[in-house]
Amino acid sequence: MDAFQNLLMGFAVALTPQNIMFAFLGSVLGTLIGVLPGVGPVAGVAMLIPLTFQMTPTGAIIMLTALFYGTQYGGTITSVLLNVPGEAASAITCLDGYQMAKQGRGGAALAIAAIGSFIGGTIATVALVLAAGPLTRLSLEFGPVEFFALIILGISLLMGLAGKSMIKALMMGVFGLLLAMVGMDPVRGMPRFTFGRMELMDGIGFVPVIMGLFGLAEILVNAEKQFAQVFIAKMSSLIPTRKDIRDSVWPILRGSAIGTLLGLVPGMTGSASSFLSYIAERKVSKHPEQFGTGRIEGVAGPETANNAHANGAIIPLFTLGIPASPTVAVIMGAFMMHGLIPGPFLFKEHPAVAWGVIASFYVGNVILLILNLPLVGIWVKILKVPYGLLFGVILAFMVVGAYSISNSTFDVMVMTLFGVIGYILRKLDFPLAPVVLTLILGPLMERSLRQSLEMSQGDIRIFLESPIAMVLLILAALFMIAPTFKFFRRGKGILSGKEGA
Amino acid sequence: MLSEINFARFVVVITTSFLLASLAFSPASWAADFPQKGKAIQVLVGFAAGGSSDVGARILASGLEKELGTSVLVVNKPGASGQIAYTTLTQAKPDGYTIGNTNFPSSVVTYLDPARKATYTRKSFELLALHVIDPGLIAVKKDSPFKTLKDVVEAAKANPKKIRISTTGFQSDEAFAILQFQKMTGSQLAMVHFSQGIAPAMTAFLGGKIDVFCGNVGDLLSQFKSGEVRILGIMDDETSPFYPGVKTFEEQGYKLYSSSSRGFAAPAGTPKEVVDILSGAIKKVVATDDHKKRMADMGLTIRYLDPSQYTKYWTEYEAMLKELLPLTKE
Repeated sequence: MDAFQNLLMGFAVALTPQNIMFAFLGSVLGTLIGVLPGVGPVAGVAMLIPLTFQMTPTGAIIMLTALFYGTQYGGTITSVLLNVPGEAASAITCLDGYQMAKQGRGGAALAIAAIGSFIGGTIATVALVLAAGPLTRLSLEFGPVEFFALIILGISLLMGLAGKSMIKALMMGVFGLLLAMVGMDPVRGMPRFTFGRMELMDGIGFVPVIMGLFGLAEILVNAEKQFAQVFIAKMSSLIPTRKDIRDSVWPILRGSAIGTLLGLVPGMTGSASSFLSYIAERKVSKHPEQFGTGRIEGVAGPETANNAHANGAIIPLFTLGIPASPTVAVIMGAFMMHGLIPGPFLFKEHPAVAWGVIASFYVGNVILLILNLPLVGIWVKILKVPYGLLFGVILAFMVVGAYSISNSTFDVMVMTLFGVIGYILRKLDFPLAPVVLTLILGPLMERSLRQSLEMSQGDIRIFLESPIAMVLLILAALFMIAPTFKFFRRGKGILSGKEGA
Repeated sequence: MLSEINFARFVVVITTSFLLASLAFSPASWAADFPQKGKAIQVLVGFAAGGSSDVGARILASGLEKELGTSVLVVNKPGASGQIAYTTLTQAKPDGYTIGNTNFPSSVVTYLDPARKATYTRKSFELLALHVIDPGLIAVKKDSPFKTLKDVVEAAKANPKKIRISTTGFQSDEAFAILQFQKMTGSQLAMVHFSQGIAPAMTAFLGGKIDVFCGNVGDLLSQFKSGEVRILGIMDDETSPFYPGVKTFEEQGYKLYSSSSRGFAAPAGTPKEVVDILSGAIKKVVATDDHKKRMADMGLTIRYLDPSQYTKYWTEYEAMLKELLPLTKE
């Protein structure tokens, strides 16, 4: 019952007026970002990090995490009503959701999606509470040696699930590692690749790079598109029929399980969860041929899964300090900006922050449920703001944000440069997620490797002496070999969410 | 005739006004009315907002505002171990309206290390005061076989480079202290550098991956209270009020004094009168009860040195680091 007591303490933190306000703010901004087809969750979180500099660490993390799972709710609205996925994880919802909207059942689809999201998010949070206890006890077993093995495992998983082109993903992973090499060598003290710029001595700033690669590049790409006026389906009654509810119970439970479990796996994106859930629903259904014509299961399952995924992805970050997805990597960056290092030590050193944030997930999910159902009409109206205007405001906001990181124009230049790089890479169809993961994991990997070797005075056998490290390294080796077998290759496309269904 | 007189008068008026104008812009007259009301004094801090350097500077700044009668703003310019802020400070206009935080060892190491290509030296700073000191310490877990410093030294001599000790970076005050300690005792330890800060060093220490923890007085307050750790020695010339019953290194026969410390400086070339006004104001603020209470609440140890004492300390510190720095790169 230790976890329960801690959770109660967390609620004491999360339910202060100030933190409820941050959860509310994050939920509203998240829904907004989810609704806007031009901006995804990574870009959204990256752009808003500078806004949190003046907040308390707890408030800042509460807001950014609420923003993250809020996008999953927002994305649903446009998928169902406009047939335009607000963000990738909701893409699959278009198939049946938009059909339902056309048949005048859009309200019911949204209601089921919101309820499913709420349940999925809550179940994943319960899993986090349960996992936190044992993993935290294990935390002191994790020294530099074990940490190095853990990061190798994280990187290997990413490469094993690279999506369409393994080569392109590997290239991007190496690009991220190269960027991570910039800065002061952590042992010898020699500046590397700094070109005489003091600003580069601490390495290339993580936040401006992410703001550029995701935020700026995404805006540039979207600025080219013509967003045609789409048919906005008429809203109907929000109350689902008794049959809808009956048909949704199992998809919601299955979606919760799929999302929570896949959320744990580094390298998985929310879209992988929603695709897999959709496929699972079609497989177990007695009428697989009716999918795509407006089946409620096709909405309930995936929408639950992507929310469970968003909350589940926080588990490895909180317990091990490993970011399981690009958005979570950005949230990890936010932790570090506020002087907190996510991982087992967080629960020991800053229990109020850790449990406060976890409790805020419940608060945020309730806020989102209230926010979404009655206010759907308002969110849809936002889409009528001309994109030229919207993008201009966002750009101005990003420049101010980048400057405020350390009161220096250098970060603004870094952001701009990486905006251009990100734009080019997108045009050439390179995946950007591997860059973020290796950029954030690279320095941690290098430091832990060198600390391990300092401990053993250069003897590499230190990695064989730790049982935990051995298990992790063997797992990593298996994941790296896996793609050479046909069986795993077949599943890969679906898991990475690139294959259209 | 009349026009000639007018002309002469004109010349006199012009010359006088020029003289007055030039007088008004000379440093001497600045000093007389330094600081001007409504003109803000900037305090550059080379570390992130919320860190202990920043907190100390902000507490002092609020006292200075009352003392100087104008606003005193803390501006954070973090990055490159403070080098960005030190560069900005030493290149600022030396008029007293830009001063900055100077930390040991970073403010000295950054220019002594040729790889960093710093544009400043000791001579680029006009020192105002030292205000905070955080002495070093070493500790072991409560179940460790080491009871005294001597136990550590003997173990390190018997097994050279086998006893693992933590630092917060190869150019941190801990690393320099350990180098001095090794030189002094003829022992060899295995230094493990946790350059991302104290928390991971602590995890490794409490998890038993590191034999000896080297840090500062501010780091182990809660672990000491809970009895999880045993502090073996404090690297200061007096015992710490935070750790009753813990001996200094000196008391155990090792003349080792090490700390990270924080002071303030203006750019070189700041007029003497302005320097006196600023350092005088800092001295007054540091002595007030209100300031002492606020600093103690934040766990900061006040140690005041006036400009000449601080200059002497800096010179000695620089000489010591010059000797130790090559050892960090071996």
